[in-house]
Parts: sequence; C-alpha cells; structure tokens
Amino acid sequence: MSSMGTTTFEIVINLVKTVLIFLMMVQAVPILVWLERRGSGFIQNRFGPNRVGPLGLVQLLADAVKFLNKEDFVPDKGNRFLFYAAPVFALIPAAVAFMAIPMSTPLTVGDSTFLIQGYEVNIGIVFILGISAMAVYTMLMAGWGSSSKFSLMGAMRAAAQVISYELALGLAIVGVILVYGTFNLTEMIVAQQGPLRFSGFGFDFVAPTAFLPNWGIFFQPLGAILLFCAAFAESNRLPFDLAEGEAELVAGFHTEYGGFKMLMFFIGEYGHMMIAAGLMTTFYFGGYGIPGWTTQEVYAAGLSMFGNETAASVFNTAIHFLSFNIKFAIFLWIFIHVRWTLPRFRYDQLMDIGWKTMLPWALFNTILTATVIFLASQYIIG
Amino acid sequence: MSMDAVLFWFLSIVVIGAGLSVVLMSNPIYSALSLVMTMVGVAALFATLNAYFLAGVQLIVYTGAVMVLFVMVLMLFDLKRELQAFSRGKITGFFKIAGVGVLAGLLVGVITFTTQKTSLIAEGSPLAADIAAQAASGADNTKILSENLFLKNILGFELLGVLLLVIAIGVVALSRSKGGTHARD
Repeated sequence: MSSMGTTTFEIVINLVKTVLIFLMMVQAVPILVWLERRGSGFIQNRFGPNRVGPLGLVQLLADAVKFLNKEDFVPDKGNRFLFYAAPVFALIPAAVAFMAIPMSTPLTVGDSTFLIQGYEVNIGIVFILGISAMAVYTMLMAGWGSSSKFSLMGAMRAAAQVISYELALGLAIVGVILVYGTFNLTEMIVAQQGPLRFSGFGFDFVAPTAFLPNWGIFFQPLGAILLFCAAFAESNRLPFDLAEGEAELVAGFHTEYGGFKMLMFFIGEYGHMMIAAGLMTTFYFGGYGIPGWTTQEVYAAGLSMFGNETAASVFNTAIHFLSFNIKFAIFLWIFIHVRWTLPRFRYDQLMDIGWKTMLPWALFNTILTATVIFLASQYIIG
Repeated sequence: MSMDAVLFWFLSIVVIGAGLSVVLMSNPIYSALSLVMTMVGVAALFATLNAYFLAGVQLIVYTGAVMVLFVMVLMLFDLKRELQAFSRGKITGFFKIAGVGVLAGLLVGVITFTTQKTSLIAEGSPLAADIAAQAASGADNTKILSENLFLKNILGFELLGVLLLVIAIGVVALSRSKGGTHARD
C-alpha cells in the first residue's frame, strides 16, 4: 500500500515503473496524432498524411525531426524563465495523474507482486483530480510569460473554463464513490467483476447471463455522460477548445510557441485525454475486467493451459492489459471522432453549459444516487 | 537515514524555500507561483503522514482553485509599478529582514517546543484512543474523518456550511451593486 516502497528493490521497481509509464504516455502521443490526422481525413473524405512510411505512420517521426530543428524563439518582452518552464510543467501533471490508473491485474512472480500501475493511492480519485487540476498553471505561465495579448486572453479563458468544469467533473464522480463505497480505483474495478447484480429493497437481482457485466454505466448513466462531457472541457478539446479559438485568439495561450516547446504542450493535452479515457474505463466500463470472465477464471484457465503459476499470472496480466487497452482505445477514438464532428461553442454558451446545466444535473445525480442507496438499504418492497 | 526521513527533509526544504521566496521575490507573479509550490509541498507532507484525503483536498482546493484565482488576478494587473515599489527602499528592506527574523524565530520556537515534548496528545485521551484504533485498523482514515464530520460533529459542520452560504450570497450581492464595488471611489 505504501507508495514509496520499503526495500531498495521496491524503490527501484517503483522508479522503473514511473519512467516506463511516462514513456508509454509519450510514445502513445505520435500514434494518437497519426490517428487524429488520418481519422480526420477519413471523416472529411480525404487522405491525410500517407506518404512517409506505410500508411503514413512514420510521418510523426519526420515531424519530430522538423520540430527539433526549428529556431528556439523567445518573445522579446516575454518572461524567459516562465516561457521555458511552462512546456516542461505541462507534462508533469498529466504523467503523474495517469500513473495512478490501474491497467491490469497484479503480476505475481515468486513471492513478489507487481502492480501494473505507477503506484496505488488509497484515495485514487481525489489524487487524480488534484494533480490534474494543476495543469491550469502551465497555461497561465505560458500565457503570461509570452507577454502577448492573445496568449494572456487565451490563458485566462482556458483557466476559467477548466476551473468551471472541474466542479461538474468532481460532482459527477461523487455518484461513483457513493455506488462503490471507496476511493480506491482497484477496489472499484474488483466491484465491477461478474454478472450484473443489484441487491436492495429486500430482493437480490442477478443477470441471467454472465455476459451482462456489473459495470458502473448501468448504475450511473447520467454521471457517465456528465463526466465524459466535462472531460472534453478539461482537456481543452473540441467542442470546448475555446482556449485556442483560432478565429479570435490566433492559437490561445501557445500563440508564441513553436517547435518542440509547442509539441510538449501537445503531449500534455493528449495526456489529459488519456487520463479521461482511463477514468471512463475504470469508473463505468469495468476497468481491465472482461465481460463474462472474472480475473480468477482467467487465471485458472492460464493455470490449466501452462501448468505453471508464474506463466498463468503473466497470461492473466497480459490478457487484462489488452482488455484495458481496447476499452481505452475506444474512448480515445470517441474523443477524436467528436473533435471532427461537432463545431465549437460560443464562450457564453460554454459558461452556461458548465454552470447552469451540468452543475445542477451533477448535483441532482448525487442526491438521487444517495437517496436510492439509502432507501435500498433501509426499506423492503412487497 | 530511512526513506521517510529523506522524503521529510527534502519536502521540508522545498516548502521552507518556497515559503521564503513568497516574501522575498520582487515579482508578485513569482511570489504567487512560490505559494503554489508551498501548497503542493504541504500536500506532499500530508501524504507522507498517511493523511491522504487531506493531501488530496489540499491539492484540489488550494492549488486547484484558490491559487489559480490569485494568479489569474495578478496576471491582469500592470505589475511594473509593483516591481519598483517593492524592490528598493530602506523601509521595505527593513520590513523584509524583520519578517524573515520573526519567521526564523517562530521556526526555532516550534522545533524546540516539539522536541521538548515527546507527544502533543495526552495519553489516555479519546483522541489518542482514536489514533490507536486507526493505526490498528489500517490506513483508511478517510472513513474515520467522515464519521467524525458527519456523525460526531454534525452541528459544527452544518454551521460552517451556513457560514459559507452567507459568504457566497454576500459576494454575489456585493458584485451586483450598481457601478461595481469601486462606485464610491
């Protein structure tokens, strides 16, 4: 449970995992950018980048080389320190928050158990919300450090938007916490294993087929929609990308940035998208769980196939890692598809949606969930 | 030195250094950002003391909301005159040094006070029993905190809620006054 580890071996493993997950996140970005560009081409009935390498896959490598060779430019009247610090800080909150999401069942080799996540925090959700809230500072630092009106306006818009939607996001998650009765992400995933079941009002309901999973989406449909919408606003993507509304603000808080510094903001933005996709998977779609099979059943299948406990554990972890990644990729694709489907909101519409629509609905969802849970445990029907 | 001690000393140095730079920086933006750093460091210190929920709330409320507003407001000001007013002058310099002296005195006082007494919590008190029970049950202190708030001290909690509501209504009333808050200036 301890996040640092007690022995040298544990500390080394934790450090390696930290680096590994950070690299995973950074390496996923070129693939996502490729997917985004080819996907937008597919949606808009054109080709997208298809010249460099098979299917244009190496295009991003060429882009990275180009970015590295660009002139390192700092605005004359800007604040040098903040201008350079902002893109570096953009990577930190996204990477640290992403590490807290469990990606597979723990791997057991001999006496040691390895968690397939950066670290297990007992208050997973609160931790992720708190860390990802710090992304606002990178925008503010970039906007002010550039010493340009467009940048400052973009940063102010972005900060106001992120703070506004954080409320709806946090309140949508309260419903999830009430349903599972825990802050711990791993415990939530364990609670979503097996067929759909509900006990309360004096009777127990279990789904007749094991393929109808006990996922959170069946208990919190409204919360899921609210969380997903708020996640779009939090990661500054269309239809909520007011921060970089190019018709009004050139490019928002990163107007003055170019080359690799710009790319680092990009990685941070995609990191927030990944956190949102990971949270949706964990809260509402069973995390790494597979509908129809519990983790114990998969482990038993592996044991009968390989006849070796270590091999079975590796098999179990690999299968569930794949399951997590399939769900994760589906959500990332929805993010990309929405970006190329919906137009941008106006700024007043954005604030109206956040404060006058999503916040009341999230409050309603919280009160409804709490009432139903209380009544189901106290009263018997029939 | 154990890992906990290394973490404690590292975080303490970060927090004290960031706290000092809040008062010593001439640029208000740097001061505000240093205050953010202090808040993050304090949250990390809470986490090393197993107060995970408090750490998370510290991050969300102070770094995520309160300090963002501070920084946003500061960024909208023209800071050139502030820089001149605060970076020179014997009087401000005197106040700075006096402030650092008072802070250092407080720190020394706190350290001597805490090292003289082994524990601030009297043995046999209900709080000590609570802490012992919590240590025995594992690290789920969020539950204990919520039981304390919503069962034992519900009246105080609700009164604080009413106070916050009054503040929120007052802010709305003030901001809606005709001509803004500076109408009489």
